[in-house]
Amino acid sequence: MSTSFGYLLKLPKFEHFEAKEILEACLLLSKYGERAKLIAGGTDLLVSMKKREVIPEYLIDIKGIRDLSYIQYQRGVLRIGAVTPLNDIEGFPIIQERFPILASACHQIGTPQIRNLGTIGGNLCNASPSADTAPALIGLGAKAKIMGLKGERTISLEEFFVGPGQSALQDSEILTEIIVPELPGLSRGEYLKLPARTTIDIAVVGVAVIVTFDPKDNKIGDIKIVLGAVAPTPVRAHKAEKIIIGKTVEGQLIEKAAQVAAEEARPISDIRGSAKYRREMVKVLTQRAIKQVVRI
Amino acid sequence: MRQSIRLKINGDLYEVRVEPWWTLVEVIREEIGLTGVKEACSTGECGACTVLLNGKLVNSCLILAVEAQDKEIITIEGLAQGGKLDPLQEAFIKFGAIQCGFCTPGMLLAAKALLQKNPQPTEAEIREGISGNLCRCTGYVKIIEAIQAVAKGEF
Repeated sequence: MSTSFGYLLKLPKFEHFEAKEILEACLLLSKYGERAKLIAGGTDLLVSMKKREVIPEYLIDIKGIRDLSYIQYQRGVLRIGAVTPLNDIEGFPIIQERFPILASACHQIGTPQIRNLGTIGGNLCNASPSADTAPALIGLGAKAKIMGLKGERTISLEEFFVGPGQSALQDSEILTEIIVPELPGLSRGEYLKLPARTTIDIAVVGVAVIVTFDPKDNKIGDIKIVLGAVAPTPVRAHKAEKIIIGKTVEGQLIEKAAQVAAEEARPISDIRGSAKYRREMVKVLTQRAIKQVVRI
Repeated sequence: MRQSIRLKINGDLYEVRVEPWWTLVEVIREEIGLTGVKEACSTGECGACTVLLNGKLVNSCLILAVEAQDKEIITIEGLAQGGKLDPLQEAFIKFGAIQCGFCTPGMLLAAKALLQKNPQPTEAEIREGISGNLCRCTGYVKIIEAIQAVAKGEF
């Protein structure tokens, strides 16, 4: 490497392994422990490494593991491999048709270039409280399949998020699949993201609303309201949900639910917004999302 | 330890010895000498380093050179075919969609990828298609007009 300008960021040195199978990746993780990181799309990891926020000596590349990149839809259940690029998910016809909230969430991440590389697993495993795929997936009741040296386990996606930047993955474990169960017949959902400024920005607030209508009388049979970026993890606004379930929806009820959702948020103040602003935006986005979903 | 890899760029095969931590943009520019692709932010936010990898628009600053082996890479140098400018390049020139030119290689590839996927984009779709490419000079208006003109078949 001859030239190097002052403002360009360079990666630190590391060794690069290409894992061909899931077990191989787990063994490498076990062997190198804290000194190794998995790399899939690399759109978050390589940036962190360039900023020297994380400096792994070994990168375990899992992009080549075919068993980790797929989208399957069988008997109403959606199964997505963890290393599936976001663009593939966004553009998958069955997802656009039957789980449009997931396509919408994927679409609102980064830029077209980033979505061609970044994976759904990466978005979830970084465990940012503002991960854009999380509110929609939690609202859809998704589960995470995890593989480690001790075997396989499946947990709810809600349980997968433990704290800011911390997922439920233990040593040598890898997220392998996201399972989205069948949605009840009359369901509609919306994910609204408030970015700091425009495309590519991280969510200041994210709200996913999924409503299941009671076919008998068109009242709200069930509702899930999931808030992103306003707590240490994505969170369900349970109290707000209870206000709406079983009721006929109208303006004042929606406003009340949105107000309660804002109170259930526990945002921090940071460079992208104050806690007060975030709470207010939870109220705005929740109202907007519910109205869009119930078509008021 | 340096590894020998094969890179296929604009139809040509290159064999280079690279370290694992070298990014694709660094190798294309400094080892192979194709300087059309630019590096500006190094973090995937500006799109100046945009290339096509197996037909997909990506930030080459976020790809390790070793990851790009045996994949079809297209840089701006590969856009013109047989000495003839691509309609998008003609349109960019005609419409004044180029000022300093730094964003242009990436912007043209983004426009190319957009029209290949969506030959009749709305203005909103054009804006989305180039949303990963920042331009500090033009304010995007002429860029969008140029793309619209190509979509209409005017070039």
